[in-house]
Amino acid sequence: MSDEVRIEVDGVSLPARKGQMVIEVTDEAGIYVPRFCYHKKLTVAANCRMCLVEVERAPKALPACATPVADGMKVFTRSERAVAAQKAVMEFLLINHPLDCPICDQGGECELQDLALGFGGDVSQYTERKRIVQDENLGPLISTDMTRCIHCTRCVRFGTEIAGIRELGATGRGENMEIGTYVGETLVSELAGNVIDLCPVGALTARPSRYTARPWELMAQEAVSPHDPVGSNLYVHTRGGKAMRVVPRENEAVNETWIADRDRFSYRGAYAESRLPRPMVRDAAGQWRETDWEAALQQAVAGLQALEPSRLGMLASPASTLEELYLFRRLAEGLGCTNLDHRLAQGDFRDQAQAPVMPGLGMAPAAVEQLGAVLVIGSDLRGEVPLLHLRLRKAVQAGAVVSAINARDYDYRFPLATDLRSADPAASLAAVAQAVGEISGKPVPRPLQAAVQGVSVEQAHIAIARSLLDAGSALVLLGNQIQHRRDGALVRALADFVATATGAVCGRLEVGGNSAGAWLAGVLPHRAPGGQAQTPAGLDARRMLTQPQDGYVLLNVEPELDSTLGAEALEPLAQAFVVCLTPFVSERMRQYADVLLPIGTFLETSGTYVGLAGQWQSQAGAARPLGEARPGWKVLRVLGNLLSLPGFDWSASDAVATELRQRLGAVGPVEPAAPQVLERDPPEGGLQRLASLPLYAVDSLVRRAAPLQATVQAQEARAAWVGPAEAERLGVTAGGRIELRTEHGRAELPVHVHASLAAGCIALAGGIPETADLGAWDRPVQVRVLAAEAPDLAETVE
Amino acid sequence: MNRIGNFIRSLFLWELLVGMSLTGRNLFAPKITVRYPEERTPQSPRFRGLHALRRYANGEERCIACKLCEAVCPALAITIESEQREDGTRRTTRYEIDMFKCIYCGFCEDSCPVDSIVETRIFEYHFENRPEQILGKQQLLAIGDKYEAMIAQDKALDAPYR
Amino acid sequence: MPEIQNYTMNFGPQHPAAHGVLRLVLELDGEVIQRADPHVGLLHRATEKLAENKPFNQSIGYMDRLDYVSMMCNEHGYVLAIEKLLGIEPPLRAQYIRVMFDEITRILNHLMWLGAHGLDIGAMTVFLYCFREREALMDCYEAVSGARMHATYYRPGGVARELPDYMPQYQPSPYRSKRELERMNAARQGGLLDFIEAFTDSFPSRVDEYETLLTDNRIWKQRLVGIGVVEPERAIELGFTGPMLRGSGVEWDLRKMQPYEVYDRLDFDIPVGVTGDCYDRYLVRVEEMRQSNRIIRQCVDWLRANPGPVMLDNHKVTPPRREEMKGDMESLIHHFKLFTEGYSVPAGEVYAAVEAPKGEFGVYLISDGANKPYRLKVRPPGFPHLAAMDEMVRGHMLADVVAVISTLDVVFGEIDR
Repeated sequence: MSDEVRIEVDGVSLPARKGQMVIEVTDEAGIYVPRFCYHKKLTVAANCRMCLVEVERAPKALPACATPVADGMKVFTRSERAVAAQKAVMEFLLINHPLDCPICDQGGECELQDLALGFGGDVSQYTERKRIVQDENLGPLISTDMTRCIHCTRCVRFGTEIAGIRELGATGRGENMEIGTYVGETLVSELAGNVIDLCPVGALTARPSRYTARPWELMAQEAVSPHDPVGSNLYVHTRGGKAMRVVPRENEAVNETWIADRDRFSYRGAYAESRLPRPMVRDAAGQWRETDWEAALQQAVAGLQALEPSRLGMLASPASTLEELYLFRRLAEGLGCTNLDHRLAQGDFRDQAQAPVMPGLGMAPAAVEQLGAVLVIGSDLRGEVPLLHLRLRKAVQAGAVVSAINARDYDYRFPLATDLRSADPAASLAAVAQAVGEISGKPVPRPLQAAVQGVSVEQAHIAIARSLLDAGSALVLLGNQIQHRRDGALVRALADFVATATGAVCGRLEVGGNSAGAWLAGVLPHRAPGGQAQTPAGLDARRMLTQPQDGYVLLNVEPELDSTLGAEALEPLAQAFVVCLTPFVSERMRQYADVLLPIGTFLETSGTYVGLAGQWQSQAGAARPLGEARPGWKVLRVLGNLLSLPGFDWSASDAVATELRQRLGAVGPVEPAAPQVLERDPPEGGLQRLASLPLYAVDSLVRRAAPLQATVQAQEARAAWVGPAEAERLGVTAGGRIELRTEHGRAELPVHVHASLAAGCIALAGGIPETADLGAWDRPVQVRVLAAEAPDLAETVE
Repeated sequence: MNRIGNFIRSLFLWELLVGMSLTGRNLFAPKITVRYPEERTPQSPRFRGLHALRRYANGEERCIACKLCEAVCPALAITIESEQREDGTRRTTRYEIDMFKCIYCGFCEDSCPVDSIVETRIFEYHFENRPEQILGKQQLLAIGDKYEAMIAQDKALDAPYR
Repeated sequence: MPEIQNYTMNFGPQHPAAHGVLRLVLELDGEVIQRADPHVGLLHRATEKLAENKPFNQSIGYMDRLDYVSMMCNEHGYVLAIEKLLGIEPPLRAQYIRVMFDEITRILNHLMWLGAHGLDIGAMTVFLYCFREREALMDCYEAVSGARMHATYYRPGGVARELPDYMPQYQPSPYRSKRELERMNAARQGGLLDFIEAFTDSFPSRVDEYETLLTDNRIWKQRLVGIGVVEPERAIELGFTGPMLRGSGVEWDLRKMQPYEVYDRLDFDIPVGVTGDCYDRYLVRVEEMRQSNRIIRQCVDWLRANPGPVMLDNHKVTPPRREEMKGDMESLIHHFKLFTEGYSVPAGEVYAAVEAPKGEFGVYLISDGANKPYRLKVRPPGFPHLAAMDEMVRGHMLADVVAVISTLDVVFGEIDR
């Protein structure tokens, strides 16, 4: 039997599928039915009653969002009865709505206003008192005016259905109904900002941009998020060249209609006090002074020309645009420098020759929803790729078996089939590999034989192996933490084997929104653009910073935070000639740099980002660069001109991308090098540090976004996390303070006790100034307790 | 007969004499001119002149930065920047009117939900240098403070009609 | 012997008789005009283009500034076009108010024209007398809208505010005795309608005064009779409207031919000329002032007897009253939306024209369903008139150019737009 039915809407016959709601059919046909609670990505609630339409032979008007289609059904959206019903509903909705329009941020883009104008009456008959509802504290990102709420429950449904967070809910009935948090706490979610877009009225609005702009003043400019490899599509709303807010741009293939809070609020970082507005140079006396572009560039060029190219190190941020990265590569080629890298967050470079052309998911993000099984290794998915986490959540809801090998519980918002807790993922994965080998009969390849030697295969490992083997389509996903690890190469090799043996795809997540672009553009010591091997290979990011060079060029890099070496990365810089192309300046940067060239943030530059599935997404540049800052690609181009390098004469950034594209097209398929022998590195004794870049410390812009830094997540990242056993051994409880020491330096942090952490481990975030002094992330840590307990509030108040 | 009459009237400059007698009479008629500036012609309370920002009786500025006047201004003469004040209220940080752009249509006053921006009956003002025509928030508030009595009276007179 | 060549001369744009910024390139043979080439565009302000970028209501104020001597009539044409597209009709009282102010505007315009025409020909006194009467009419403008010239008073759906029940009065001053003050304030004791009524009572005798000074004056006649003659057929061909057309003897007036608002309820006559020269056009305009006075008087009587709303009670188009806006949710939303976004006008094209003092002022409006016009075209009456300049002055003497420019009643606000 066919699913096709035909219904008639306002006299027009429309095709429909069985099970569709009337509103879906009218939306497809472009017939507008007013609505508040209906949202195409959320379940049907049918509680606002705004979408009432007249249906033939139905005694009363029916809600279009909850009325399934039937063959031959006749619907009237603008008939007298439908209009009267809509008008009546509108009047009810406005009864308790406060007269806030003039001070409400939603004014001008408010669905309630629009529908009141389009479908409501023009004078109120209601003269009684209006109700007042206590506001909720939803944290530093969302401001609430709950009196304005019309109880559409979109925010509640978003929490439970999409984000998997049951923090908002409705209590009471009728006029006493209120939306609030269940426990009266702030909304802790990396996606909380989406409720701002969902809220049809001004009850939930963005706190960072509160009261600053009206929608009609804003120009919507297209942009792509550089904070994670998903590459969420954004609209940057600017006024007078200044970014005032960021909202999602719908792209079903990439971010659907959602974006992470990181993408939404990072723009505030662009206007932080530490922004560098003008070029600065260090003069002969060692004093910093502001200067003009010409003088600064001349000083940079003179310094670079005086250096031996082989003694120069060039480091770029993986959040840079493809054009910046390619020009950076061209600059290195022109200078004759092979010490070129973007992988500051990488801990192990042994397998770089075997790496694929670029990291990524190996499939379209949307395809993740159809997977049968997924194995996640070493990833804080919600922090690294929040929107991929949503896709995985959908996959689980559709029946996918997801397992994880993590050092701690990252609180995924979906159930895990097997949740393997391990501080040594190599060992666990080796066991899985062994199990896969045994079950499938495909032996573990020779180079990995040593690694799987002597591991004990347990039930959990077999379960994971089985899930991958049994699934029609599977994914083995390596997280950022595998990139950070000193034994990352082994984990990657094992994962590759597991994937190949089970017929799964091996996906790699790397730090930075454009690390795939950096691989493609050849910002690597061992590969040319397109992935061709380049011999002899130059120094990788880690060796560049452990073996002092004479000079450095840094493209939007803060080594003490971006590098896995922590503040140790700064030691070689102090003696060298350092040119920084950076949107921001920090105290540390002033100590090591010699020339500071201000470049634009992602908001202020045109460029391209290469996403998880290898898709190229371009933007035109939304805001005007602050002060005298210029887009990075322009600065690099002029640097090339001043260095008299040939071919540096692009007039637009897309010409740069075109050149790279041509160069990539000329490169044939690249064969990765043969695997090498890798052995498992048993963990050292002592307190082992688990380090990663937390959600709100992934790049220089996010670190300066004050609203994000005020969130619970950012505060929790600025703490030392230990398991209960370790806490007991140390004699501290949650809230106490400890001093941490390594051979390099010290830090003082409050203690967080997290049940999932094993003894012998301490989770300390990288990328934050508090832990930078501890040096390299893999150094063992000594702990001294400063205060065993949380300070008693009563005492401190006095 | 008519022809003779016309000839005589023409010969003796009759129409000119009639005209002269009219101007002569007007010479002694009461004058309609007034001795400005000591004396002024009447002004309607609806008069649309210099702008002012008003305050409430307690001294709090009325403007809540809703930006309706900015949106409705046909000449784009009004520029507003706003943010949350420390007490949590919505306030302007910048409120400027470019008096050269302004066309004195009165829409800003019509749009204001709190009767903050008004056009007063003041029309004798001048600017000596170029950027002075851009009146800032403090200037506009000062105008409002100075003429509050007059503004309140004018607005009260006109209130039944709005 | 050198060849005698025609002499080419610039008349304006900085000439006191050029009525603004007209630049006329004249080719002279001695003192006889061979060719007159008007150059326009010096006062171009792109009003039509500006209107495409603003919500409908925001352009009302710019209409005043087209023909800045007949302000409200321009507004009227624009507002009428919007109303036609929206399919709304203002309350009757608003229509009477509009007609009354259209006629006040007509008198204002003709007074301005008469004074300037007199000055051009060499009659100084009329100018002063005309401005005396204009003062009273501008007080009406001010009383009702708050501005003496650029009123921005008409709105789609009515007029901005009801006529005031009071008139501002002269204040005591050391230069005036009490009796003198009472005399000056005599007409200002009641409301605006009383003031206008007092004006209509005295105005016909004022027109008599102008006529005493001019109509029979030999110099006046010598300068105007037989100058710039346009035959009726030719006037129609040239697209003349208003007094320019009627001066040539064609009975054509939109107020009679296709009555808008309440003109069909009013009693008035259309004066026409006979010969189509400058003198006839002068006579037509003077008579039009008398007829306008008649219309105003009828409007005053009707408005006195029929109180009522002056604005449509449909807040999807007209903003709610302030009192309602401050206490009523629906009204506040409509106020907010109307003042920021404005209303959306159904897609379509209309042409609406009014009989402006200078002729047919038309607005051609295309809406694509948005809150801004897709295209706005203004048909100014002055443009075709100015286009006939060459034809009208050819063969006349240089001094007659001034008389002809003046009789065209050109205002560059509307011609250059």
